[in-house]
Amino acid sequence: MVVVTLVTYRVKVPRNFRLLEELEEGQKGVGDGTVSWGLEDDEDIMLTRWTGMIIGPPRTIYENRMYSLKVECGPRYPESPPFVRFVTKINLNGVHNSNGVVDTRAVAALAKWQNSYSIRVVLQELRRLMMCKENMKLPQPPEGQVFSN
Amino acid sequence: MAESSGTDPTVDSNVVENAAKDRTMIVVTVKTPKDKEEIAILEDSSVAQFKEEISKRFNAKLDQLVLIFAGKILKDGDTLNQHGIKDGLTVHLVIKTAPKATSGSTSQNSASSSGTPQANSSSSASSPVPNASTPPGTGPAIQPPNLLSGFGDLSSLSGMGMGSANFMELQQQMQRQLMSNPEMLSQIMDNPLVQNMMSNPDLMRQMIVTNPQMQQLMERNPEISHMLNNPELMRQTMELARNPAMMQEMMRNQDRALSNLESIPGGYNALRRMYTDIQEPMFSAAREQFGNNPFSALGGNLDSGVQPSRTENREPLPNPWGPPGTAPSESRGTGSSTTTSSNGGTAPSVSSLPNPLGINASGLGNGVFSSPGMQSLMQQISENPQLMQNMLSAPYMRSMMQSLAQNPDLASQMQNPEALSVMTNPRAMQALMQIQQGLQTLQTEAPGLMPSLAPGGIPGIPSTTGGSVAPEGPPPPTQGSNPSADVSPSQQQQQLMQQMLQMFAGGVTTTQAVTPEVRFQQQLDQLSAMGFLNREANLQALIATGGDINAAIERLLGSQPS
Repeated sequence: MVVVTLVTYRVKVPRNFRLLEELEEGQKGVGDGTVSWGLEDDEDIMLTRWTGMIIGPPRTIYENRMYSLKVECGPRYPESPPFVRFVTKINLNGVHNSNGVVDTRAVAALAKWQNSYSIRVVLQELRRLMMCKENMKLPQPPEGQVFSN
Repeated sequence: MAESSGTDPTVDSNVVENAAKDRTMIVVTVKTPKDKEEIAILEDSSVAQFKEEISKRFNAKLDQLVLIFAGKILKDGDTLNQHGIKDGLTVHLVIKTAPKATSGSTSQNSASSSGTPQANSSSSASSPVPNASTPPGTGPAIQPPNLLSGFGDLSSLSGMGMGSANFMELQQQMQRQLMSNPEMLSQIMDNPLVQNMMSNPDLMRQMIVTNPQMQQLMERNPEISHMLNNPELMRQTMELARNPAMMQEMMRNQDRALSNLESIPGGYNALRRMYTDIQEPMFSAAREQFGNNPFSALGGNLDSGVQPSRTENREPLPNPWGPPGTAPSESRGTGSSTTTSSNGGTAPSVSSLPNPLGINASGLGNGVFSSPGMQSLMQQISENPQLMQNMLSAPYMRSMMQSLAQNPDLASQMQNPEALSVMTNPRAMQALMQIQQGLQTLQTEAPGLMPSLAPGGIPGIPSTTGGSVAPEGPPPPTQGSNPSADVSPSQQQQQLMQQMLQMFAGGVTTTQAVTPEVRFQQQLDQLSAMGFLNREANLQALIATGGDINAAIERLLGSQPS
């Protein structure tokens, strides 16, 4: 017992606690108001499926658009990163053109995931990616389209 | 249930309605990227009704509003209940002001034209969009994150805080950008627009005040709000922010002012308390948001508010191990008026201390400054400005101050707060002695190494001025005129050290020795040049007056037949 406590410097917060906290934060609008997230289904006891929303950053081609995403927090969350998928069609480096799945290797927050990261962090990172030079001018599909998957 | 069975149906139904309203009225925060409003609405209303309220509050059209909660877009047909929107929660709002051209040029035109008149009244979050994005059509001119570009881009102005709390988001972004890009900061500072704005103290004050962390701080420390409300101070602060050389100057002055507080018995405790109560939150706030500039300027500014130091001070930096001692009269004026003008005066001045301590090459006293004694002193001072005045007017102060005033070099050495705190801590003194010995060696080995270090004598200068808040306790009043009172050999050693270091530090000739004769050498020369040839008498007079030439002359004249 003693050995165990010596090894872990940080308390490992149980998954559900974390997700509940994130749920509350999503409802309270923690953050700068440019991303939003919440449970896809309020009855989801496992708090696995989440929907996210990113407001397209100004002065980019994504401006004024709202991008809907699906975020799935697996059983090993927050030790493992969540799966993120765009629902609203988007042309963005790191997002598959066919199904909107976000490539884990392309997003720093996912590639170098830490258990202190959260859904908000991922969404904000994606938003930041939209502001990158290489992305901010990519031609976009018409508004309102969704990925077929 | 039985409400309608009563006497007056209208009253009852009103009561019922009111009761129902009271029960289910909720307050929801509606947040845009740049704005935040609290809207009260019935719990069971629909999204459409909610949007009505929002469109009134934000002055936007219904079809421009997009509401998002928990990652979902709220459709008009839904109810708030459906989405679980309860009292106190936050809903995100996006005001679409320029739909893309692909969605219909007519709608775009109408949207943009309706957007423009609204831009004036609504939060100008929407205004930059029509200006920036309408002309280029689908591909709005992508501007680099340079806040200064784009005159038509009001968002950059709002980033400057030309608005008010509405632009918190932009402000935060700007700050983040500033922190990450120092060149941008200098670019911004050079921009005449910024300079104009900064010369408007009200604007700056507003900008600072709307920062939520500042608001917290202000609640906790009313002195800060006093300080912010003083336009003169704000103006000086801004000048400081523009002029880094002056800012450094301010910080040095402030160090000196703080030394006043040191020398007061029991002052350390006050200083320490002040530090913990005020410095830490401010400092962390400064770190996060503003960077160090405005805060350190604010801190230094309070001293400058009283001290007229527009010119750069060419004196060498204060001696970190310099003689402790007392405050010269001008610093006293600063200290007391600072504290009397506003208690928070000394508080924010502490806040920037870590900065000068970091920046200041003589920051060897870094840890020393934050000694508990000094901080508690400041706290006491901040709590009781009268205390400061009383103490400073004590007689023993006067003699020390006089002696200090007469000798500017001496004064500069004595004003360093670190020195004072070191003096009161015997262990620190021992450590310093060791350091000095090391420095001595260094000097012989590498003379050029020490230019920025102020001379490291924990010198016997305390002995010369008698102002030692040394372990001996409060300085006896007459010590000012008794230069070689202190005897310990280590102190003499220190004096020697100090002199050597001073020579390296720039050749400023400071007090050379302990004996009054040498100390008053300059005054003696002056007196002899004036025609007072009796050296002995001159010396006596100088000793008696503590080096004050004018007073010495009067004494001399008084003793001579007129």
